[in-house]
Amino acid sequence: MAPLDDVGLSIVERPTPEDEAELVAACLRGDLAAQRALFRREFARVNATLYRILGPTREVDDLVQETFIAVFRGLAKFRGDARLATWIDRIAVRIAFDHVRTRGRTPVPLGVIGLGDDITDATALDAQAHARDGLRRLYGALAQLSPEARTAFALYAIDGRSIADVSKLVNTSIVTAKLRIWRARRELMRLAAEDPVLKEFVK
Amino acid sequence: MKIEVDPPTNEVRRDRIERQVFAQLANMRAVERADAAVPEAPAHNNQRPWLFGAIGAGIAAAVALVVVATKPEHPAPAMIVEETTPSRIVTPVGGESQFTVGDAVIVATSDTSIDVKRAEDGGITLVVARGAVDCDVAPRKNRPPFHVIAGDVFVEVVGTRFTVARTPSPRVDVVRGKVRVRAPGGTWLLSAGESWTPPVSASASETVAAVPQIAPVLVAPPPATQVVPVLPPVALPVASAQPDPHALYQTAQRFEATDPGRAAKAYRTVANTNEAWSAPALYGLAELDAKTDSVKALADCNEYLRRFAMSAQLEDIAWLRIEILRSGGKRDEARIAAADYLRQFPQGSYAAIAARIASPPSHD
Repeated sequence: MAPLDDVGLSIVERPTPEDEAELVAACLRGDLAAQRALFRREFARVNATLYRILGPTREVDDLVQETFIAVFRGLAKFRGDARLATWIDRIAVRIAFDHVRTRGRTPVPLGVIGLGDDITDATALDAQAHARDGLRRLYGALAQLSPEARTAFALYAIDGRSIADVSKLVNTSIVTAKLRIWRARRELMRLAAEDPVLKEFVK
Repeated sequence: MKIEVDPPTNEVRRDRIERQVFAQLANMRAVERADAAVPEAPAHNNQRPWLFGAIGAGIAAAVALVVVATKPEHPAPAMIVEETTPSRIVTPVGGESQFTVGDAVIVATSDTSIDVKRAEDGGITLVVARGAVDCDVAPRKNRPPFHVIAGDVFVEVVGTRFTVARTPSPRVDVVRGKVRVRAPGGTWLLSAGESWTPPVSASASETVAAVPQIAPVLVAPPPATQVVPVLPPVALPVASAQPDPHALYQTAQRFEATDPGRAAKAYRTVANTNEAWSAPALYGLAELDAKTDSVKALADCNEYLRRFAMSAQLEDIAWLRIEILRSGGKRDEARIAAADYLRQFPQGSYAAIAARIASPPSHD
């Protein structure tokens, strides 16, 4: 019996991924279970990052989807130079940035994604409504910033990233990232001075 | 400065996005096929096996794959140059096997027997003794030829993903790219979305075609840049074109922004089928109609709720219906719809807003 290699024939195996490199390799081999495991592992962070950059808009769902499709389609290019999470975050930030830039500076409409699901009484409802109003004003203000400043500021002040991380994610120097965040903060505070609801939200 | 913004963490929403991501990945081939007619990929690239796995969604569990080195049951036609070591793949009834041959990813379906041959020039030939194979093959530009023989049906790959079945009856389905089919009765060039079944006379010959009967008429692969057939000027049999619902759905999505009328028509065509994509298509149509015609959009929503009561997008369509009612000024109806939504999806993605809408008018 001739060895399989003689005819270039190989059986696709389905190992159980144990670490990141193996998970990536399994995804690249077409292991659907590994791909779903990767999705579930990374979803929460990608979702949070996009939501915090873009605010409560239904487009977040689409962009989360777009991010993961880009991740899976580009996974073969992941060389392991950085952590997989960082590589995925870069993709998410790029997609968010492109979206903000394409949409322009139009204000964010009242979103349809709720802040929470556990509404039980009128007080909670009022608080939710107030929070939603603040959120809408925050992202309305952010929409007036440049896409670069908005993205850097959201990553830093809302998503809680360090300036070094922000600079990596937006592919710029630390000084430039700092400058963008500072300008965005200055503009946001100027707007907040005229808007008590926003002021309370960003204090 | 730290601003607290908590993203939604609803698992239903996560699951919905997960389904959408993998459905989208599974249909990427259909999206790409529009551009795949002219092969441009570099010669050394493999197909994306992970993408195939997404499409397989469970097919990848190799079932009792039997590989036996043996003399071929069906010798290759003369135009296939001398073969090297052949191998045979046999799958049992109910089993499927995925394997790679060179740069091709092959799925042998249930109860299939295939001989795999590689010629000295690197060309690959699959001889299907019985059953069917699903082939994902890179465009052949600058690559060795790839052929599939199923009885007296000869399939030459231009660059594509396609399925060749020999039993129960010969059939070729092209998902992406183009293939040339030679069989008794003529030569066909199939493009993406087209299927081929033999004319009656050719079909009859299948019953006696234990060994390929076709004449060795193809001596060399077509020039690399050739994408249209150089065929004798004879009347070619017309391949039976069957619109692929997946592709049509993607087409509708692409045209939403630029040509809503065309998108709506495509969505409706898919929605009217009983294919897996009819529910997403009807949802897309409802969203599209919501921008221009709330009455029509409501009718779409109602049709969706009637036809797809178990759909994964049920929550979304219920919420879309509320939005349409609200934007149309039908506050009372929206309130009732929101109450219905809360009953169905008390922990749903839009429960917080639905609760506000469903509350009495003085608090709304």
